[in-house]
Amino acid sequence: MPWPQQRRLLGTKVQRLDGADKSTGRAKYSYDINRPRQCHARILRCPHAHARIKSIDTTVAERTPGFKSIHMVAKPGDELYFAGAELLGIAADTEEHAEDALRAIRVEYEPLPHHVKEAEALRSKGSTVGGGAEAANVTPAGDYSTDNFEQNAYRDAAAVHEAEYGVAIISHQCLETHGLVAQWDEKQENLTVWASTQAVPNTAQQLAQYFKIPATRVKCITHYMGGGFGSKFGPDIQGQIAAELAKKAAQPVKLMLDRAEEVTVGGMRPSAYGKVKIAANKEGLIQAFEVDCYGSPGVGRGATVNFNLLPYVYVNVPHIKRKHQAVRLNLQTARAMRAPGHPQNCLLTEQAIDDLAAKLNVNPIQMRLRNLPPNDQDAIKNAPTTYLALRHTIYTQQIDLVRKMSDWDRKWHPPGQGNGPIKTGLGIALHTWGGSGRGPNPTKITIGADGSVLCQSSTQDLGTAQRTVAAIIVAEILGLDPKDIMVEVGESQHGPSTPSGGSTTCPGTSPAILKAAENARDAFFAAIAPRMNVEVADLEIAPGHVVNKKANQRIPWRQACARLGMNPVQATGDWPTNAQLQQNKELRDLWTTRLSNQGVGGVQIAEVRVDTETGVVRCTNVWAVQDVGLVVNKLGCESQAAGGVVMGVNYALYEECIYDKNSGRLVNPDMEFYKLAGIRDMPQIHVHMMDMPERGVIGIGEPPTISTAAAVGNAIFNAIGVRVPFAPFTPERVLAALARPQGGAR
Amino acid sequence: MSSSKDSPKSGLSRRDFLRAGGAAATSVTGLAGATLETQAQPGQPPASHIPVLGPGPAKISLNVNGREMSTAVEPRVTLLDALRNYLDVTGCKRVCDRGTCGACTVMLEGKPVYSCSMLAVEAQGKAIRTAESLVDGGKLDPVPEKFVQFDAQQCGFCTPGFVVAMRAVLDRNPKATPEDVEQGLQGNICRCGTYEQMRDAIYSLCNRPRRS
Ligand code: FES
Ligand code: FES
Repeated sequence: MPWPQQRRLLGTKVQRLDGADKSTGRAKYSYDINRPRQCHARILRCPHAHARIKSIDTTVAERTPGFKSIHMVAKPGDELYFAGAELLGIAADTEEHAEDALRAIRVEYEPLPHHVKEAEALRSKGSTVGGGAEAANVTPAGDYSTDNFEQNAYRDAAAVHEAEYGVAIISHQCLETHGLVAQWDEKQENLTVWASTQAVPNTAQQLAQYFKIPATRVKCITHYMGGGFGSKFGPDIQGQIAAELAKKAAQPVKLMLDRAEEVTVGGMRPSAYGKVKIAANKEGLIQAFEVDCYGSPGVGRGATVNFNLLPYVYVNVPHIKRKHQAVRLNLQTARAMRAPGHPQNCLLTEQAIDDLAAKLNVNPIQMRLRNLPPNDQDAIKNAPTTYLALRHTIYTQQIDLVRKMSDWDRKWHPPGQGNGPIKTGLGIALHTWGGSGRGPNPTKITIGADGSVLCQSSTQDLGTAQRTVAAIIVAEILGLDPKDIMVEVGESQHGPSTPSGGSTTCPGTSPAILKAAENARDAFFAAIAPRMNVEVADLEIAPGHVVNKKANQRIPWRQACARLGMNPVQATGDWPTNAQLQQNKELRDLWTTRLSNQGVGGVQIAEVRVDTETGVVRCTNVWAVQDVGLVVNKLGCESQAAGGVVMGVNYALYEECIYDKNSGRLVNPDMEFYKLAGIRDMPQIHVHMMDMPERGVIGIGEPPTISTAAAVGNAIFNAIGVRVPFAPFTPERVLAALARPQGGAR
Repeated sequence: MSSSKDSPKSGLSRRDFLRAGGAAATSVTGLAGATLETQAQPGQPPASHIPVLGPGPAKISLNVNGREMSTAVEPRVTLLDALRNYLDVTGCKRVCDRGTCGACTVMLEGKPVYSCSMLAVEAQGKAIRTAESLVDGGKLDPVPEKFVQFDAQQCGFCTPGFVVAMRAVLDRNPKATPEDVEQGLQGNICRCGTYEQMRDAIYSLCNRPRRS
């Protein structure tokens, strides 16, 4: 069952099936669900960055009009570690009444010391995030060095560059906030939730575990989803609260976070700041890469960069030394955000490389071509369609393409050249991502006697056009039009499916859908062949038809289906189990290197215009070339790639969670002082998808957002000749960089 | 206003409300208190031409997509919340809830407005149009049609707001240039980043070629 050699639909541009419903507001998102007798809930949150609760008085609140139920999650004596931490939830008949009830609660706190600034916490002793007397805010998150680094690293250096780079904490800012509607049945035994989630079955499962009830008693529905970007993998605490409140009120409860809550607790991409020292020999080959970096995962733990991928992409640098520290702060825990760690890695690596290239007087494109990692010899032999085996080839082709698309050779100038106050510049950066999928993703296909085709699975469509992906594959195999396929996703009762994170959905589901479609076709042939007095082998699919090769007869699809009589045909398809994949190399190669795959490369060039009098940067163009293995839907792929670029430009120029040092609170939990660009602020985006069908399907969600910010940073450097070290590259920071004594990056 | 109009559910009588309001006002500035008192002296009926609403729910009637819809909402309820929470018209989305993102955009007498930033009671007697009006049976209005054709939507949560804003620009000026349309979309934000595809849609709607 490899992918069809002749592709009628795969790789073409297919409009998303649910486009009309979404654009006319008919698509119902979780936020839009209104159940009969539905109540509304709000959460009371701690206003202090660190505090102990002295007392909570809810008596007045419980007497306010419309009050329905209350659920406590914190109690007097508890210590809370960030502003926004949950105390309790309240449900009332209307949202207005829920707000009133919340306001009527009195809480006394004992404020405790906090840290919300990385640099300060880095110098501090002790802990403001709990953990006992021995604990500290700063924890080691990685320490590595190649052998004899000190002796060898800078021996052959023709140029050494040392500087600081970094990027602030940002928020996912999903337009549909986190939350759900929870409804118990009359007996209070079965729970249904309409949740905004990237993991439909997991959300149901986690709630079942929380309530200690059988998993079959919880159903999660997510027909439409208004953005997640890595921040929505379960019911979260607000989901538990909503379900508790619904149970206590014996009425359905809707609990969606408001915008301030969404930005304060709905997820963030952690910061990363670091000193980088990089050296190259006179051929321009990078010899040493040294990085000492830190970042904040908020009150959570863990690295904020992808530690093993520093330097990023250029992994064959011989001498590497890296150190990373996690600086825990009194603010929400970091969550996975579109390519976790990678944009940070890319900024730390690619900007340093450009600064080094400038010292060496080498064109940034040359610098990259010289330092690309080679195709891995072992991989070429054993796994020839993998990233390892192809990376040099892929990047070389991509650089060549993007260079032509952007007219680099004509437009590029040495850093800082150009007359007048408005400077233009070009910058380049490379990225990589895994993007492999796995099972279980069981998919069921039903072919009806009326010719209708239904494809069902529990996977979710986050805006990735997943429904359309399924329809394309099924239609390709059955010779139909994608519009002929009815696709149902986003309901947990359709069985297990993998969460949509890390660009895994398309590669995780597509092979299973292919298998299901082929099984359905075979079952269909098996059912109709006897009735047509032919062998199964005599039948084949042609567009819109079933062909009886023996009689050289083309039967229109519906007519062929009519032969099914009363009984529709059903078939399922899914991945082999992990054990099967492990034991059987042939099977493994088929499913993980031909039907799907992992590891992509991408290259982006950004063009900027910098006003050196105001410091305002405009990104005018971005050219993006992306490998994604086999393209299923070219239209959807291009959309996601362009969307990734938009997110990257926002990251580079506008976004930042700003915390007030004294109160420890986020000062911009909104969409006006937390900047997100509108259409007029955005560059023209030119996407080129590389189609490499022999590689199989690989995910596209993460990669195209990774290198944009670094490309923009490099373009600014190219324009003004000085490095703006920290993103977002705001007018203030650009002006500060320009005001530094000349001499390029500091 | 007779006390019988007070909502028994609110648990706060109109007199309580005024007293509380007056007390709060005096403690802040005398002027605000004075304003309150000229409008309605405690114990005296207000001037008859000033309708007094609240704090309990008041009956309202809204003309949504050509249909009269009625419900009862407290006067503090925004047009957006009345549509979504009370009338189940959910094409307009609540995203920022304070006039920055445009996801709640509806047309009021043909003009695009942020429905989160207007009270429901103020919208009475005016024609309200939401994205749901841009499809008639199976027939799509050209604006959402182009959104579909060029894939100018991903998660789609911002999309009805953009579609309504774009429809409003083109209704007012059928000869609008792509720049005019982009201008009209400045109050809308898309997180998924569909601007590039939106430009394709805009150029097509304006009958202009885009790219060579
Ligand atoms: S919700 Fe009204 S402008 Fe954002
Ligand atoms: S399509 Fe998701 S926010 Fe615009």
